[in-house]
Amino acid sequence: MADSFLHLARPLGPVSVGTAPTTAPLNVVIQPQAVFSILDHSLRRNADQERVIGTLLGTRSEDGGEVEVRSAFAVGHSEAEDQVEVDMEYHKQMLALHLKANPREVLVGWYATASELNTFSALIQNFYSGQGDGTWPHPAVHLTVSTQPGKDLETRAYISAPVGVTAERAADSAAFIPVPYELRYGEADKSGLEAIANAKDTEERSTGITSDVESLERAIEEVISMIDRVSRYVESVIDEETPASTAMGQFLLNSLALAPKVEPADIERDFNNHIQDVLVVSYLANTIRTQMELSNRLATAQLTLGGGEATGEGNQRNQRGNKGGRQNNRPQDRAATEEARA
Amino acid sequence: MAESQSPLVAVKVEALVVMKIIKHCSQTFPTTATGSLVGLDNEGLLEITNSFPLPVVETPVESHSDNAAPNPAASAPRTKANAVYQAEMIRMIREVNIDANNVGWYTSANMGNWVNMNVIENQYFYQKEMNERTVALIHDVSRSAQGALSLRAFRLSAKFMEAFKENKFNSEELQKSTLRYQDIFEELPIEIHNSHLITSLIHQLQCPSASGPTDLPPSLSALESSPFSKSSTFTPNFDNLSLSVDPFLEKNCDLLLDSIEAHNTETNNYQYYQRVLGREQQKINNWKQKRSQENATRAALKQPLLPEDEWQRLFKLPAEPSRLEAMLNTRQVEQFSRQVDSFVSSATGKMFAVKGNMLPGETAN
Repeated sequence: MADSFLHLARPLGPVSVGTAPTTAPLNVVIQPQAVFSILDHSLRRNADQERVIGTLLGTRSEDGGEVEVRSAFAVGHSEAEDQVEVDMEYHKQMLALHLKANPREVLVGWYATASELNTFSALIQNFYSGQGDGTWPHPAVHLTVSTQPGKDLETRAYISAPVGVTAERAADSAAFIPVPYELRYGEADKSGLEAIANAKDTEERSTGITSDVESLERAIEEVISMIDRVSRYVESVIDEETPASTAMGQFLLNSLALAPKVEPADIERDFNNHIQDVLVVSYLANTIRTQMELSNRLATAQLTLGGGEATGEGNQRNQRGNKGGRQNNRPQDRAATEEARA
Repeated sequence: MAESQSPLVAVKVEALVVMKIIKHCSQTFPTTATGSLVGLDNEGLLEITNSFPLPVVETPVESHSDNAAPNPAASAPRTKANAVYQAEMIRMIREVNIDANNVGWYTSANMGNWVNMNVIENQYFYQKEMNERTVALIHDVSRSAQGALSLRAFRLSAKFMEAFKENKFNSEELQKSTLRYQDIFEELPIEIHNSHLITSLIHQLQCPSASGPTDLPPSLSALESSPFSKSSTFTPNFDNLSLSVDPFLEKNCDLLLDSIEAHNTETNNYQYYQRVLGREQQKINNWKQKRSQENATRAALKQPLLPEDEWQRLFKLPAEPSRLEAMLNTRQVEQFSRQVDSFVSSATGKMFAVKGNMLPGETAN
């Protein structure tokens, strides 16, 4: 993030004390799911819409100093020259539905898919941060994600403070205060993002799911190419083609020092122990599978041979051992027809 | 059925859905999470474009097998309350131009232990009640934590659907339908698809936006705090290179042991059934013999004969236990062993690599 932030808790506007949301410094953490939802919504907007808006949900830390945006849903709205209409009924219903499935998440704010802030933004912002249905007493987070074609995606997060001289004007005015944000993904998301990122350079923007070995191969190739790059750099420094850097040298030396120093005999021993474990487990797993398959096959197979009995050619069944199940087809059949008649 | 077009051949999952599923599943881990998928059916290619989680409703579960532990989350997709929830949600998202066709459901799994009655019943419910062309997406949380994303799409095969409808799982029917454990599920290949905006976002996230040659860092601390040293590369994921082998294998062995136990119970049940059956059979035969002897003496004495089929009333044959559990168990074990195989193949590779690195002299031989 190139932006740096200076946080100032500023005096409040002319609203009576206690009704305005706090404007204390705040850090916004965005999970990738939320951004993806927003982008998806942006793609699905109606042709005549400049921007679309929606509700952000997530969690708030205990002291309110950090807001984590976890998910988002779209809310229909229409903007005209002089008026804006947001489907608040829809927002409320959707929020209720969402909270049913995610009881831990709360309303934290809203998003728009254009960087512009205007009167309508203030109006919507005041709705979201208001009392009752809004986030009050916490500030509502406003997230703008610009989705203009041909430009970088630009994300900004704001909270608002009331401004305005009179109470009438306060409804459609707000001072948007930029707050720092951070895109954070958890351990669990990593593998998903990897799979998604695999598709980033392909023409059709899609990819299959890779197997363990394939992804291992890819990781190793990447490491090798990184090592190549570094050694090329080092070579060129030695050849005095590139200016040397002490910091870089120190960094590389530190990295090299991370290599563990282990006795060859220990490695040999650990290696042998582990490889045996691994192979034994693999072997056993497959044996178990075969055994079970066989046992189930046998359990049903003996009845196949018994099944021939109905036509009176059941001689071969005796070789099947006397597990007792085989003679029963006929009585069962008869019992079944008997039942059907009754 | 109206959809007599080409059968489903593949599943295309939007990146958004992948992330949403991961989020939901890992949040509720280790309890099972379930949710609903919406999208489009595009002539055999099922496009999943959005998803939403289903709330957990505490309702008594009607299950085909009584011994399945009642798990409200796992059975959520087929409860009545959730059918209502789902319909409501789909109605809502239609208003914001999201594809509003239900195309299946997803669930989380732990180490591939997803082959159970709940999954079968859910998918059966979907394919039968909702729409024939639906899939179950299975996200394995703990396998994904190992590195590679584990997301798979399954459907119940037509053969199995038929057998399950009539609950025909005794040996005779299984023989007739030649249904094997391999035939329970059909796996569909999955493709992950990104929208243009997401492609653009990922490109932007990966390379710090400095263009042109950068200056060399003045000091070590500057280097460490620069955006380059923590630049987030998504692919490849270096978690793959982790050398921890034992926890995974240990967990797998545990699961395998459980499966063996389940298998034993099933076999014992079956053997018990066979013993009882044999005993009853023996009794019937004895009775028949006695009766025919009696009738023979009666015939000799010119008395009226006694009916010979009374045994049907006197003796009751035990019902054959369903083979379904055993089949599922075998399928489950197959799943485990494949998983172990796949893990072992990469683990041995890594181990040989480490050995080769640590003992450089020996690789030459």
